Amino acid sequence: MDDKYSSNVISGGKLGRVEVPNARLTRYIVLLLLTKMLKALGIFESYDLLKVVHIVQFVFILKLGCAVILLFFQKPFSTGKMVAKRQWIKILKHAVISSIISLLGFFGLTLCGPLRTLLLFEHSDVVVISLLSVLFTSSGGGPSKTRGAAFFIIAVICLLLFDNDDLMAKMAEHPEGHHDSALTHALYTGIAFLGVADHKSKVESWSGLIMPFVMIIFSVMILDFYVESICTAKLEAPRSARYGSIFLFLSGLLLANFWTHPLTDQLRAMSKPGQQASTEHVLSGGVLVSACFFILSDSILSSPSKKGQKGTLVGYSPEGIPLYNLMGDALQHSSQSLPRFIKDSLKQILEEYDSRQIFYFLCLNLAFTFVELFYGVWTNSLGLISDGFHMLFDCSALVLGLFAALMTRWKATRIYSYGYGRVEILSGFINGLFLMVIAFFVFVESISRLIDPPNINTVMLAPVSVGGLIVNLVGICAFSHAHSHGASKGSCSGHEHGHSHGGHGHSHGHGHSHSPGGRGMNANMRGVFLHVLADTLGSVGVIISTVLISQFGWLIADPICSLFIATLIFLSVIPLLKDACEVLLLRIPPEHEKDLNFALEKVQKIEGVLSYRDPHFWRHSANVVAGTVHLQIMSDVVEQRVIQQVTAVLKDAGVNNLTVQVEKEAYFQHMSGLSTGFHEVLAMTQQMESMKYYKDGTCIM
Amino acid sequence: MAMDGMSTSPAGLSFHNGSDFYPRKLGPKPDVVPSGVTERKVGAVDKPDMVAVDVINFQDSDTPLHRKKQETDTYVLWSGPPWTLTEQGTIHPFRKTHKSFLGKFVQEFNLVASDRRSWKILLFGVMNVICTACLLMWCNSTNSMALTAYTYLTIFDLFSLITCLMSSWVTMKKPSQLFSFGFERFEVLAVFASTVLVQLGALFILKESVERFVEQPEVHTGRLLVGTFVALFFNLLTLLSVKNKPFVYVSEAASTSWLQEHVADLSRSLCGIVPALSSFLLPRMNPFVLINLAGAFALGITYMLIEINNYNAVDTASAVAIALMTFGTMYPMSVYSGKVLLQTTPSHVIGQLDKLLREVSTLDGVLEVRNEHFWTVGFGSLAGSVHVRIRRDANEQMVLAHVTNRLHTLVSTLTVQIFKDDWTRPSLVSGVLPAATLSASDYGGASGFLPPASSKQAEELDPLTSTPTKPSSPPPEFAFNTPGKNIQPVVLPSTHQHRPYNLGLAYGASPYTSMLNQGFTQPGGGLGVGAGLGMGARLPSVQGYRTSFSAAPHRYGSNLLPSQTSQYRP
Repeated sequence: MDDKYSSNVISGGKLGRVEVPNARLTRYIVLLLLTKMLKALGIFESYDLLKVVHIVQFVFILKLGCAVILLFFQKPFSTGKMVAKRQWIKILKHAVISSIISLLGFFGLTLCGPLRTLLLFEHSDVVVISLLSVLFTSSGGGPSKTRGAAFFIIAVICLLLFDNDDLMAKMAEHPEGHHDSALTHALYTGIAFLGVADHKSKVESWSGLIMPFVMIIFSVMILDFYVESICTAKLEAPRSARYGSIFLFLSGLLLANFWTHPLTDQLRAMSKPGQQASTEHVLSGGVLVSACFFILSDSILSSPSKKGQKGTLVGYSPEGIPLYNLMGDALQHSSQSLPRFIKDSLKQILEEYDSRQIFYFLCLNLAFTFVELFYGVWTNSLGLISDGFHMLFDCSALVLGLFAALMTRWKATRIYSYGYGRVEILSGFINGLFLMVIAFFVFVESISRLIDPPNINTVMLAPVSVGGLIVNLVGICAFSHAHSHGASKGSCSGHEHGHSHGGHGHSHGHGHSHSPGGRGMNANMRGVFLHVLADTLGSVGVIISTVLISQFGWLIADPICSLFIATLIFLSVIPLLKDACEVLLLRIPPEHEKDLNFALEKVQKIEGVLSYRDPHFWRHSANVVAGTVHLQIMSDVVEQRVIQQVTAVLKDAGVNNLTVQVEKEAYFQHMSGLSTGFHEVLAMTQQMESMKYYKDGTCIM
Repeated sequence: MAMDGMSTSPAGLSFHNGSDFYPRKLGPKPDVVPSGVTERKVGAVDKPDMVAVDVINFQDSDTPLHRKKQETDTYVLWSGPPWTLTEQGTIHPFRKTHKSFLGKFVQEFNLVASDRRSWKILLFGVMNVICTACLLMWCNSTNSMALTAYTYLTIFDLFSLITCLMSSWVTMKKPSQLFSFGFERFEVLAVFASTVLVQLGALFILKESVERFVEQPEVHTGRLLVGTFVALFFNLLTLLSVKNKPFVYVSEAASTSWLQEHVADLSRSLCGIVPALSSFLLPRMNPFVLINLAGAFALGITYMLIEINNYNAVDTASAVAIALMTFGTMYPMSVYSGKVLLQTTPSHVIGQLDKLLREVSTLDGVLEVRNEHFWTVGFGSLAGSVHVRIRRDANEQMVLAHVTNRLHTLVSTLTVQIFKDDWTRPSLVSGVLPAATLSASDYGGASGFLPPASSKQAEELDPLTSTPTKPSSPPPEFAFNTPGKNIQPVVLPSTHQHRPYNLGLAYGASPYTSMLNQGFTQPGGGLGVGAGLGMGARLPSVQGYRTSFSAAPHRYGSNLLPSQTSQYRP
């Protein structure tokens, strides 16, 4: 459906852009190619130049030369509008920032060579803008843009990690440092012309540098500025950006290959002696790969987004043309600021007991983890680092629990009509599955170690596991306190639960009427608690096996311990999973089962009630037990009274969200008239049959 | 005895000869008296015997019910997915021993295995287990994380086969007392559990890969490619040859994963170049096939790079990639099935539901609709409950029937609670009595056997108008006493039988006129007063049923006009 409409005129993007055939634009493309090659040449040139001239002087001369020429051509003061005072401030800001950017850029050039600078620095603003919008906004513009951004990141990573140019490590990427647009330079040069005096400093043999400087100024700044503006006008911005960056990168690659070659030495504008340390910044496999990725990502990111504005179909015009509502997107995004969001959610977390416990414990756990990781990196101990990651892995369960505890308190919405209470149970279920997976992996691991026990270095093990044990013991204390705090009757593990189940028969009707949320701890907290318990067991196991190994040299102790622990985790998770499954599968809550049967019998004895059908009772969440039931009553009974009685009876049995449908014989007759389905009528007939019999019975009686 | 016949006949007539009823209610033409009617009457005359039987029925219907309950308590229990099975026996023995539970499992398993189609699934399951074991061994020998990540997809296939078995088991089971909504939810839970388990496995892979980034062990390529192709072959074979209903449903209903989106985007641009591929590439790709192919592709690249460059870190990188793709593929599905488990209203039916609820709230007599809960039981079937507040003078059964009728098209398991404000202080003050109370007080004393019949008649007045608006209950004595008790009940049952309610949505006059034509032709006795009643009730509806209060006197006045009634007499 979406596809059908997106191929439509408006959203298909066919309407807006008409591509000019390439043939007419060939000369512009060739011009662009030449310019970009010259620009790449200029940058390579300036790399050589920067070895002689100080970077500040270099940038100054560059900007100055640029300013003079542009002032001569553009005549910013004699033509055009006057510049207002406020604009001057903006211009000043722009000038400062752009000079800083170009300083950084040329500094990077000195560090990592011309090719890498080209790849990282010379992206057109179209590309940078779409990259940033993909990375930092939700509406990036479809999967293709996301792909482009991913390619960009991969390219940068390639350059950083896989390129063995050692200087690369120092060079970080500046996403904001995009292509020095010529406008920047024009403004900058304006400032330079007005305010800054000309400081010729004491570099000897300036005469020999004049040619290269002129060449660089011409190729990197002036020509590029004019050609790009022409091409942007003729080819449209995205296209010129795409072609431009491709040409630039390709010519950069080409030049990098030949720059240090003896043949090109003659081509160089300045052939200084003593700079032929030609092994630096050569082409490597990593650079090639990343150049490919850069070209790909640039061509993807600079392509105009196909989708256009995504409209929602509102209906059809009388002529049959679909009508779209195009402004939905702009109105929906009113997200709050991040600090405010964090503050609000923290406040919410700290409000309630459960989430507060989880949050504190999470903080403690994270602190321990980071201490461990930091110490591991400090002492270069792999065991510690991997244990730290393991702890992080465990923390994800806590985060899940925290999030569920937070969500549980959200208000009911249209979609979550009963409220979010069930999230807790689902999270408990997921946590149970998580523990099962952990137990499984520990089990598999320990079996493989049982066959071939590896040698274990026990030096670092003991203190870490003791620390973990202490942290987890704190957690157990906190959560079991929470447990006894919230629980009216102790039921945490399966056995106790079974016990309360059995004891429940004695005091039913009374014990449940005032505490409908029967079980002490909710599924979410149970999941978290079990997780902490499993971690504690793990620490205890590690301590025991460490002692055994270091004292007696029993290497076999470690796998046996972990086997034992895996079994324990598995067994302790089962009741949690079972309970969560029962709730998720909408089973009659076992702790209310007897009450409900009893209550239904009572309902049947209510005066005027003939029978009931489709009794559904299920636990929705920790404190909601929902139920629906259909009653057939005699025609001469007031429905509302029956509803009231039934509600009272079932409320006693623990159902607190009840819907009763009261049917008299008239209802079935109405329905038989209204309904069109044969089967429904048949089903209803049977219903009526039973009703009739009852009625006859009561009649006689 | 006659009364007895009367009391039962309406039900019998209208429902028992459903075959008569159906063709006729569609055709407006007045047709012949159905033979069923007379037959039924004969049956009704025989009733006295039946009554005695019925009493017995009534008495022991209590006990069977009770006994059945206890039976189910002890008997029907968990027979869910295998992983839940083991847990059942170990920790929570409900009132039965471990052995009986195993026996139960075997019994359920035999039930499933008795179907020939599940043999194939079992066969594939066995193959899958063997394949997985092989792959795990190879993973161990190659020390490759990427292959491990890919093997988890094979394990996921095993889960999906189990889900498939379960869905065929679910179709064989009827709702039990404990699982009153039926067993379809097991399917949903199985889908959810398997997708979540695979994602947890992927999380585990991620964690391991992060550890490997710190220290990259060497990867042996010996069995890497073999393992990849074996896994790919088995996965595709399983996916394409086993018809996996729940997973197919979920993968179609859930939102697209990012993998699918990217592939769709790529293939769209590819189709721009080669249009011939469009029939193959453009439809929505099966996410499982996609992730299997993509994983195999990543493994192929890994193999190449390790072979050529001995570049071991690629293995970890592609493990991360496969894990991320697994997340991307499984996440939408677990969100979808999780939302079903959370009892949420599926967002795609919200529009329809809203429309229906608006329609319901415009029904006459309905003041507001609240506490509406709609959710899916299994994949697809909607269940729901709603509270409807109605005016104090509206007819509950009528509104109930209309509301149910509206919502029933969408919501199959529906419960509607009708709610009136202030019902305890009703009637006598306002002068408009609920029919039921009045008739009870009026007739209860008058004659022992009358009440059910007459009160029913009181209800039937409304059906005839079919307008929930009607000032619901006219004083019953006015309606019933005047025509004479003995004649009327015989007629009305048969008249209402032909109410063309099937046209229910159209409240216009036409259905009712046709109803009249029909209704008056066929009753056995064809008694005038009954017809008159029908006629009288019809008038206001023709006039527009919202003005009913003012119309009331006129209507009941017309009841008594013999000329009018005779006019319709056949």
